[in-house]
Amino acid sequence: MADLQDDLRTTAAAGEFDDLAEPYSDEAVMAADPYEPVSDPDDAPMTRAHAILAAHPVADGYNGLPWALKRLSHYDLEEGESTVDTDVPRLRRGHVGALFWSLHLPDGLDGDRAVGATLEQLDLAKAVARTCDEGLRPACTAGQVADARNCGRVAVLLGPAGAPAVGDSLGILRQLHFLGLRVLTLTGVSWASDAGLTRFGEEVVREMNRLGVIVDLSGASAPTVRRVLSLSRAPVLCSRSGARALRPHPVNLPDDLLAELGAAKGLCLVPLTAEQTGPTVRDVADHLDHIRAVAGAQCVGLSGTYDSGSAHPQELGDTSCYPRLIAELLRRGWDEADVALLTWGNVQRMLRGADFTARAAQQRREPSAATISELDG
Amino acid sequence: MTSLDDARTLLAEFPVADGHNDLPWALREQVRYDLDARDVAADQSAHLHTDIPRLRAGGVGAQYWSVYVRTDSPDPVAATLEQIDCVRQLIDRHPEDLRPALTAADMEAARREGRIASLMGAEGGHSIANSLGTLRGLYGLGVRYLTLTHNDNVDWADSATDEPRAGGLTAFGRQVVREMNRLGMLVDLSHVAATTMRDALDASSAPVIFSHSSARAVCDHPRNIPDDVLERLPANGGMAMVTFVPKFVLQAAVDWTAAADENMRAHGLHHLDTTAEAMKVHRAFEERHPRPVATVSTVADHLDHMREAAGIDHLGIGGDYDGTAFTPDGLDDVSGYPNLIAELLDRGWSKADLAKLTWKNAVRVLDAAEDVARGLQATRPPSNATIESLDSLDG
Repeated sequence: MADLQDDLRTTAAAGEFDDLAEPYSDEAVMAADPYEPVSDPDDAPMTRAHAILAAHPVADGYNGLPWALKRLSHYDLEEGESTVDTDVPRLRRGHVGALFWSLHLPDGLDGDRAVGATLEQLDLAKAVARTCDEGLRPACTAGQVADARNCGRVAVLLGPAGAPAVGDSLGILRQLHFLGLRVLTLTGVSWASDAGLTRFGEEVVREMNRLGVIVDLSGASAPTVRRVLSLSRAPVLCSRSGARALRPHPVNLPDDLLAELGAAKGLCLVPLTAEQTGPTVRDVADHLDHIRAVAGAQCVGLSGTYDSGSAHPQELGDTSCYPRLIAELLRRGWDEADVALLTWGNVQRMLRGADFTARAAQQRREPSAATISELDG
Repeated sequence: MTSLDDARTLLAEFPVADGHNDLPWALREQVRYDLDARDVAADQSAHLHTDIPRLRAGGVGAQYWSVYVRTDSPDPVAATLEQIDCVRQLIDRHPEDLRPALTAADMEAARREGRIASLMGAEGGHSIANSLGTLRGLYGLGVRYLTLTHNDNVDWADSATDEPRAGGLTAFGRQVVREMNRLGMLVDLSHVAATTMRDALDASSAPVIFSHSSARAVCDHPRNIPDDVLERLPANGGMAMVTFVPKFVLQAAVDWTAAADENMRAHGLHHLDTTAEAMKVHRAFEERHPRPVATVSTVADHLDHMREAAGIDHLGIGGDYDGTAFTPDGLDDVSGYPNLIAELLDRGWSKADLAKLTWKNAVRVLDAAEDVARGLQATRPPSNATIESLDSLDG
């Protein structure tokens, strides 16, 4: 508990929101205080990994726990639940400080089936969080994430959901945001396809910026990625993408897009799955090395992808395993500051950026009344 | 002082808490939610029954805005969320006049502030698509009542205006009622079959409402409430909110409407269509067949009877403005409520009774539902029941 309270600086930073006007200034968001090391460089990598993670826990960008729990008649996340990859004891051992809960649906749902199923997913996620309020705390903003951490809880954020969830309607997007949705993946809809964004798709991105719903581009087409990068006033993320240069999975990003994502100060969250990043800890570390080199240390993060039906690399089988990965990075010479950005700092910057943009945009823009039939014909 | 002056004085202290207004649907149909095209801060009497100046003139202090969508909508849940979005935008645009309200305490706060408490009600079980998770989602978005059906049956409840199928509520239907009790969402029994009313009264542990229904003994229409049901309201603690819709409250209008609906269908239109084209067809029919006119007195007759059957503590008002093509003389739009109060004063209703009718009962009922919910939440987890598990397919 004591170490968890070291992060008060983050809360203080959140207090500065009110003084900022235009979307958000790079200085305010990017210029961190000089990094203060928390580990002894002479210690063993695993010892250092624990020390660094205690101060800079993992913000895990993709986790499917609520859905995985649906098949269980009874569970106790606080005591530990061996049939899933995620529970409170293992989150604590893994130094996880924040968790994004995926609301992705089976492919092919649209219209009411997607909207209704998303309402059910939100309801389920909130119910799971309520069963475990000693360990988990729902959070929406960067400030609430920091607050959860200062209370010794794992912050739970809702999203990503797939784009079909919004039923081709900005009004529905606004109501899902009201219910807590924080990230939306722009795939599987007519307005964000292989051809890129339609006019309605562009309006969706503007409305997401206005609300503070973060754009997720994992799995989106290259034209969609490029259009969003030029259009979005808030930083975007890829919730589950490795480097295609290392592994030719369709959701992994090629180097040119990684470089463009880096230039736009976006965030690539690397999944810990055998399929996308490879079968060993070293494979995952290779992806992190590569993306750090191509996009920059400020543009890479982690996405456990636990309880989502994926096979994981050896030694990274559940949410307790993050120290092994961090120790591997330290062995490879990552400095502490970059590790801290990887695990926590970058996601916090992303959330703060989205919060700033939303505040500024809400002063300038009314809720958009645009409809898909009016814009896309 | 005339009784109309007295009525206004009364309403200044205990304004009308109205159970049902379809302004969101009218905005969806007329201008696809272009709220600049129908600025309700200005006079909209050319297009709507409802705007803020007339709500003020009518002494309205709380309004359940209906987030109704048609039962034949291809995506009723999605459309309901758009209706909720519309209400939220209306409230955000007019913070001086409309106050978001989720609780009885919010209603009283709005009254103290001189703003109109704005609540939401969903009109028809089709809005939850047979899902208790979706029901909870609507509650989370601020919806505080669900009318169990609209004009058509849902899989788990019979409508007053459809062929009997479930014979009231199915097992899943009872589960919906119980989950609404647990949430603190009011069970609204307008539009449902009498069998459903009785089943819901049996299943509900919280007060129920009729958001916009009148008395069947005064005008025999299935949308109205039979006496045996009205007589159960004291034990239940709920309330019946009298509606003004002429085709439900006046027998001559019931007959005339049947003929007018037939005329609409003959022109290939849905009989509830309120688009400009449909209204033109309607007006042409009206020129050939003079429309029987309901009056303030017609509605007061219903209230006199409902008071006999249910008691003064179980009455309210649900005008259904912007959800009906026609309105009674003297209750032409939302500015008309003082005329009804004046009529009741003339009939000898006391000021204390009128305060219950207009305001106090509505606040009490929501407060009681919240109370029941607090108790149930301490003992019962959210229900995961599904219609498949509770109702056999031919049920």
